[in-house]
Amino acid sequence: MKFSLKLPVVKRGQFEERDDASLNILQKRLIGVGVIIVFFLVVILLRFYFLQVTKGDEYKRRAYNNRIRISTVAPPRGHILDRKGREIVTNRPSFNVALVREDSRDIDGTLKKLGPVLGMSEEELWGRVREASGTPLYLPVTLKEDIDWQTLAYLEYNNREFSGVRIEVQPVRVYPYGDLAANVIGYLGSISKKQLEDADRSIYSGGDLIGKRGLERLRESDLRGEKGKRYTEVNARGFEQQMFDGIEPMPGRDLQLTLDVDLQQIAENYMLAGEKSGAVVVLEVNTGRVLAAVSTPTIHIADFVGGISQKNWKALMENEHKPLMNKVVQGTYPPGSVYKMVTALAGLARGVINENTSLFCPGYYRFGNRTYRCWKHSGHGMVNLRQALGQSCDVFFYQVGQWVGVDGLAKYARKLGLGQQTGIEMEYEKSGLVPTKAWKQKVKKRKWQEGETLSVAIGQGFNLMTPLQIASMTATIANGGKLYRPQLVEKVIDPEGKVVEQFTPELKSELKGFDHFFQLIRLGMEEVIEGKRGTARRLHINGMRFAAKTGTAQVVKVAQYRGLRDDEIPYKYRDHGWFTCYAPAENPEISVTVLVEHGLHGGSGAGPVARAVLKHYFAKRLKEGTLSDQE
Amino acid sequence: MYRIDRRLLEHFDVILMLLIVLICGMALFNLYSASMPSPGYGFAPWMKQSIIMAGCFVLFFVIISFDYKLLHVLNYPFYFFIIASLLLADAIGATAGGAQRWISLGLFNFQPSEPAKLMLVITLASYYARKEVSGGYSFFDILPPLGLMAVPFILILIQPDLGTSLMLIIIFASMTMFVKLRWSAYFILISLGSGAGVFAWFHLLKPYQKKRVETFLNPEHDLANQGYQILQSKIAVGSGGLTGSGYLKGTQGHLHFLPERHTDFAYSVWAEEWGFIGCLIFLLIYFGMLFWGLYVGMTSKDRFGTLLAFGVVTLIFWQAVINLFMIMGFLPVVGIPLPMVSYGGSSLITTMMGLAILMNVRMRRFHPMMGRNN
Repeated sequence: MKFSLKLPVVKRGQFEERDDASLNILQKRLIGVGVIIVFFLVVILLRFYFLQVTKGDEYKRRAYNNRIRISTVAPPRGHILDRKGREIVTNRPSFNVALVREDSRDIDGTLKKLGPVLGMSEEELWGRVREASGTPLYLPVTLKEDIDWQTLAYLEYNNREFSGVRIEVQPVRVYPYGDLAANVIGYLGSISKKQLEDADRSIYSGGDLIGKRGLERLRESDLRGEKGKRYTEVNARGFEQQMFDGIEPMPGRDLQLTLDVDLQQIAENYMLAGEKSGAVVVLEVNTGRVLAAVSTPTIHIADFVGGISQKNWKALMENEHKPLMNKVVQGTYPPGSVYKMVTALAGLARGVINENTSLFCPGYYRFGNRTYRCWKHSGHGMVNLRQALGQSCDVFFYQVGQWVGVDGLAKYARKLGLGQQTGIEMEYEKSGLVPTKAWKQKVKKRKWQEGETLSVAIGQGFNLMTPLQIASMTATIANGGKLYRPQLVEKVIDPEGKVVEQFTPELKSELKGFDHFFQLIRLGMEEVIEGKRGTARRLHINGMRFAAKTGTAQVVKVAQYRGLRDDEIPYKYRDHGWFTCYAPAENPEISVTVLVEHGLHGGSGAGPVARAVLKHYFAKRLKEGTLSDQE
Repeated sequence: MYRIDRRLLEHFDVILMLLIVLICGMALFNLYSASMPSPGYGFAPWMKQSIIMAGCFVLFFVIISFDYKLLHVLNYPFYFFIIASLLLADAIGATAGGAQRWISLGLFNFQPSEPAKLMLVITLASYYARKEVSGGYSFFDILPPLGLMAVPFILILIQPDLGTSLMLIIIFASMTMFVKLRWSAYFILISLGSGAGVFAWFHLLKPYQKKRVETFLNPEHDLANQGYQILQSKIAVGSGGLTGSGYLKGTQGHLHFLPERHTDFAYSVWAEEWGFIGCLIFLLIYFGMLFWGLYVGMTSKDRFGTLLAFGVVTLIFWQAVINLFMIMGFLPVVGIPLPMVSYGGSSLITTMMGLAILMNVRMRRFHPMMGRNN
């Protein structure tokens, strides 16, 4: 046989000890060890005798009577408030029917009787029980959530019929303003298996609700609170006898946001009423506080309560209006003419233009062997910076862009916060894209074409920006160069009303020495509204001067759609409409940025939303006329 | 080629085998009651344990077919395998963001800290067998084994599993005292140990870490819960009375007040259902096996065999004492299983391997004839 083991082989004599005397001494010592083991055995047996025989009757009595159970009590989750303390998210008690399998003498019979009462089939109820098959039997299985008062009263009154059935009170989320700011606030869901594996088991257990998205997720540790404990004694028939003092649950901490419910509502309703999908951001220009952050269409929080169905989720994923996306920070779009402020700043800062520079716009600009058109094909004639911004002349900015170069544009775009995350407390923020020569070489493996600089200069081409970045840029222009980190949470308040954490405006960077340039850009933006030929002069508000910039971002450059009527172009190929503004013009307080996806034009699609927000924000002062007497 | 020495079969210890089979049987029988399936329950613990136990018996016979002296050599790969597994478990634990003591192998979770105990027994037995010092070991003699113990000790300690890591110290102390230390070595060890402990407590540990050390003792439950468990365990044991409540009839056990009723508290279920008489019979058999283990040590032909036998007995004995003390309310919940009785594959495999080594030593108590086993 060829079979052989590859194990090392012990050769005779190897590891052999021949000292029999010392082996004997060692083996004798085992007797002493035996004595020690006997000692422990005697102690253990005596203890068993004491517990089981001497005290046996007492323990038997305790075993019979004393069936104490510990159950956990869910804490109310922290509320989410707006800047004025109005509740956007709060809680109410939900009465759930649960079954403690171990206490039920006849699970099958109980479920049979429960079915008609709860309006559920026996199969459904068994399904719930089966789902919990891996958990200890003393843990309740929730059969139905949130029963109505009649059912509750019936079950309480006839509780003798349903052995092992308990009513549990659990706080659930209430949204007094409906789906308001739903994409920012997010929603709760049952903790997933994966999350449970990673979670601290002293905090989370199966079936717990946990923040799945938005602030509910980001601020989970503040909002969740601490579970309480309840001790109950159960008799042999499975009915709760008595309740002992437990540990009260500790409610979660409240979040006070910088959002203003009124502004949020107006912006949201305006967008929804017009069936516009897109985003609205309202910022305080001198602090960076976010007064409204709208992303439409919003998710419907009701769909997510108790877990979203596979079908609904799929529909949401496939919806071309992308309701699951928080477009404020997750949507990136070419900025269109809104970018002209960047081009203007770059031109001024590099000294290639000043307030006296006038350029002629014949309606097109020839570069190389291509013709770049101005949106106004008949041309703007001689325009200076103020007029160029006011009328959004492309030809003017083609030339400025060409003189500054793409890397120069990128430098000032970055100084205004573009191409980087703003750092707001929102999930999955995109940084957008500010193209440079090096970027193209690295990513596209192609050399930069000078013609592309012209596209970039008017906000087309590779540029991608989030609505929040544009809002922040507008605020920076309005406040003269201060780039704040947009702030969403104002403070965290503990259940006793004490402020645990207070957030203050955070200045990220400041552009110094540019006061004059910003002044010139602001004049141009004012021209958009107040100028005779301003692109958004129709949005003028009586009694207040404000400044804005419209933008239309091309989605595709397809010749076949040129010359078509707006409603003839397929939705997904329609241009995006931008509108960004600040007010009042003289002493800016807030900026409003609106993006309407495939909204065709900034002025007509997005502008009215911003105007409505401004009119509401300044309503009192407009009525008193205190804003216009500065003129 | 390997030929079986006929004397190996003659020396097969039927009594030891009988004791092992008896205890395994009672343990499974008890586990069935402790893990009574609930409606819709999937793969019950007692079924899983039976499968692992069957595997253990196969392993048992594989181990006894090789000369235990091979452990002098095999000990090294075994040692490094355990250390690597512990590192892996620690790394998985660290990335999972919490405590993790096991490596998932699909069918069951492998907990390397369990075989680490046996690995230490073999390592120390091998070292003390080969290095014999007349008049007792000095402090410097035991530095190498101290180092060999320290590595797995630290790896298990940071899991964190203070209970099991202290088990390593207990094994080390028992075996080192057994081979006899010099008084000077005792003095140095005790002063070093207490010095390090006091220093760590007052200077290295921050208050929250001290609290964590306290919860180390009891990783799964808070203190309030622990007192509750001990009380419920005492009620279960006590309510068994003299004759017990009868198999599958223990109300306390089946109330499932203890989430670990089939693991750490498995013996409370036995005590409740079989009463003092049942406990007496079980413990006499269980401790009978330990005494038989000592007898194996006394009849072994060499120092290594004696030390191995002593080590295996020590390993089972201390775990049993700690577990029983916990069930009877003498000790806090420390997460030490009752070997062979508590549910858990890693612990069972380790214990059965230890018992196989015991049988191995017993079967080779004669001096082999020349050329026959090679």
